[in-house]
Amino acid sequence: MPRGCVYGFIGPNGSGKTTTIRMILHILHPDSGEIEVLGENATRASNDRIGYLPEERGLYKKMPVKRLLAYYASLKGMSSSDTREAIDKWLERFELADWKNKKIETLSKGMSQKVQFIACIISQPELVILDEPFSGLDPVNTEVIRQTIVDLKNNGSTVIFSTHDMSVAEQMCDSIFMIFRGKKVLDGTLDQIQAEYGSDTVRLRVADPSALERVPGVDSVRDLGRYQELRVSGDPQAVLQDLVPRTSVGLFEITRPSLHDIFVRIAGPEAAEESNHE
Amino acid sequence: MSKVWSVARAEYRNAVQSKAFIIGVILMPVFMCGAMLVQAFMKDKVDIKDRKFAIVDRTGQLAQTLVDKSEERNQWIYDPEEPGKQIQPKFVTEVVKAEKSPTTAQKDELQLELSDRVRKGDLFAFVIIGADTIDPEKADVKGADNKITYHTQTPTFRKLPNWIHDELNDKIRDQRFEAAGKDQKEFKELNRAPAFERQGLFDKENKEAKKENDLQTFGVPAGAMFFLFMMVMMSAPAMLNAVLEEKMQKISEILISSVTPFQLMLGKLVATVLIALTLSALYVGALIIVLNHYDVLHTVPVAMYFWFFLFQLLALIMFGSIFIGIGAACSEIRDAQSLMMPAMLLVLIPLFCWIVVLESPSSTFSRVISLIPPATPMLMLLRIGIPPGPPWWEIALSVVLTSLFALACVAAAGKVFRIGILSQGQAPSVAKLIRWVFSK
Repeated sequence: MPRGCVYGFIGPNGSGKTTTIRMILHILHPDSGEIEVLGENATRASNDRIGYLPEERGLYKKMPVKRLLAYYASLKGMSSSDTREAIDKWLERFELADWKNKKIETLSKGMSQKVQFIACIISQPELVILDEPFSGLDPVNTEVIRQTIVDLKNNGSTVIFSTHDMSVAEQMCDSIFMIFRGKKVLDGTLDQIQAEYGSDTVRLRVADPSALERVPGVDSVRDLGRYQELRVSGDPQAVLQDLVPRTSVGLFEITRPSLHDIFVRIAGPEAAEESNHE
Repeated sequence: MSKVWSVARAEYRNAVQSKAFIIGVILMPVFMCGAMLVQAFMKDKVDIKDRKFAIVDRTGQLAQTLVDKSEERNQWIYDPEEPGKQIQPKFVTEVVKAEKSPTTAQKDELQLELSDRVRKGDLFAFVIIGADTIDPEKADVKGADNKITYHTQTPTFRKLPNWIHDELNDKIRDQRFEAAGKDQKEFKELNRAPAFERQGLFDKENKEAKKENDLQTFGVPAGAMFFLFMMVMMSAPAMLNAVLEEKMQKISEILISSVTPFQLMLGKLVATVLIALTLSALYVGALIIVLNHYDVLHTVPVAMYFWFFLFQLLALIMFGSIFIGIGAACSEIRDAQSLMMPAMLLVLIPLFCWIVVLESPSSTFSRVISLIPPATPMLMLLRIGIPPGPPWWEIALSVVLTSLFALACVAAAGKVFRIGILSQGQAPSVAKLIRWVFSK
């Protein structure tokens, strides 16, 4: 995994994402194989250089914000003076400075999420592991955290970013890694991955979506409301010619499959069934 | 080690700044003093409602005694410092005419009638004095009417039956002496018990043995043991809750991404010890001030403080690690409660046998049980407190054995903590916990 990039880590529920993350953090040990993290092999020495935001958030409800952040920073080996400075800087940036002496239980859910995020990055880790960092956040707070992730990357940190939101992964990740049933099934940049799946996707808008049924060469139809997405196995031009007599076509674009589409192709019910037969 | 200290410091600050700790330190003594004050206040709040009772005297000689004595007693039921203020209930008598040898039907009818009057509240109780009660020759004769029976529906009020018993006893004894032609005064003189005093041993320096001091002999060892028990109960189970809470609130995963599970557990254990030591130091300090104030500071030997803190430290390491391990193994409070039972039994062992040890501190049983680690801190402390105390080698052996056992508990709890802290779902059985302990 290259340093200084945002690495998307995707996979369906139960595929082994959290287990992999726990192995990276040496919380769990692999049955076989080795994991090298920041040059350290099979030791926890690198953990002080890793920031971790688990999917299931946990904060001491009775602890004041400032003390909680100082505690988490001390567990990463930060000095008291550096901690004080970092706490003030990050609370200011996340507009939480007025809340630093308040107990966590008095904070809103969004504020708690931001405190948890600060706790994860306060020690300026070289590797940041974020498991669903945007879950439960409103668009404003999502944007604040998104920008911070970009800044972390620009400052040289490597970010492993686990999400189920494929559009966010497409927007933010330099590379994508997909795991399915404990095995790696995708690894590369978005361009590389999409190129691998070819230009077999047509995005179109038709007046009557029912007209898309039984069109020769169309393998699957996905109605996204404002437009439809087709997966075609034949010539897209032939599909267009077939459609025009049936309904009016407002949009017709030949494109590469979205990450969402690729995800569904790999881990959707059809793929799962095929995999079971094998 | 610095991470262990970070965990310990955070846990310690959380605990000592919590309401529970403040209640424990400040409010508990306040509550205890308050309870004593309430008790003292309530002592005077006696129900002074008249206790009217009927007397069925088949001897025909004793009823008048109760009538006279009750009238005499009723003169003394007022507060001597506040004339006119009644502080005891009046005993009001009603003599019921009774046959010396009634038929069974007469007996039944009278008993039923009096019982109904008690049920209705007309009477508080009634007493039936058998016809052969005075005659000493009939005291053990089967079938003789030689009993005094007391009947009430408020058996918890013992003052009245006790008073009736004492007064009738005195009167019957007087009558028996008189009938036998003996002088009761002389009998009382001859029957007087000799002076008996419990004292310590003589030694070369002190030719006079010291009078035994109950506070020193019983109060100090028992008090020290119960104080140690209290400290363990206030600290160790609280740590179980703290670990369980962290697990339920998903904090554990963040913590063990920064520290090893063993460091985390050790930090919590250090905090448990520090919290309990802080509490006990505060209480011991207050105790010294109180003892000094009442000029009885010498009743607690200085060495006792040392042994108390040493055994407290060992007990906290031992029980603290066990409770922390249980907390890590469970995911729900209900599961933790069921797993806590066996651990609680270990803490309670000394309470099951402390009386036996107190009475015979040098018996084989006392010596063996006080060398078995889970019981050692409390029972050896108890034995040390009872003069002259156990031989030095027994104390040394107990410290070594308990230290080794405490280290084994820490190691075992470390294994359980490592596996349990991220486990979810149903709590493991005791057998599974043991397998975790011996896993690699």
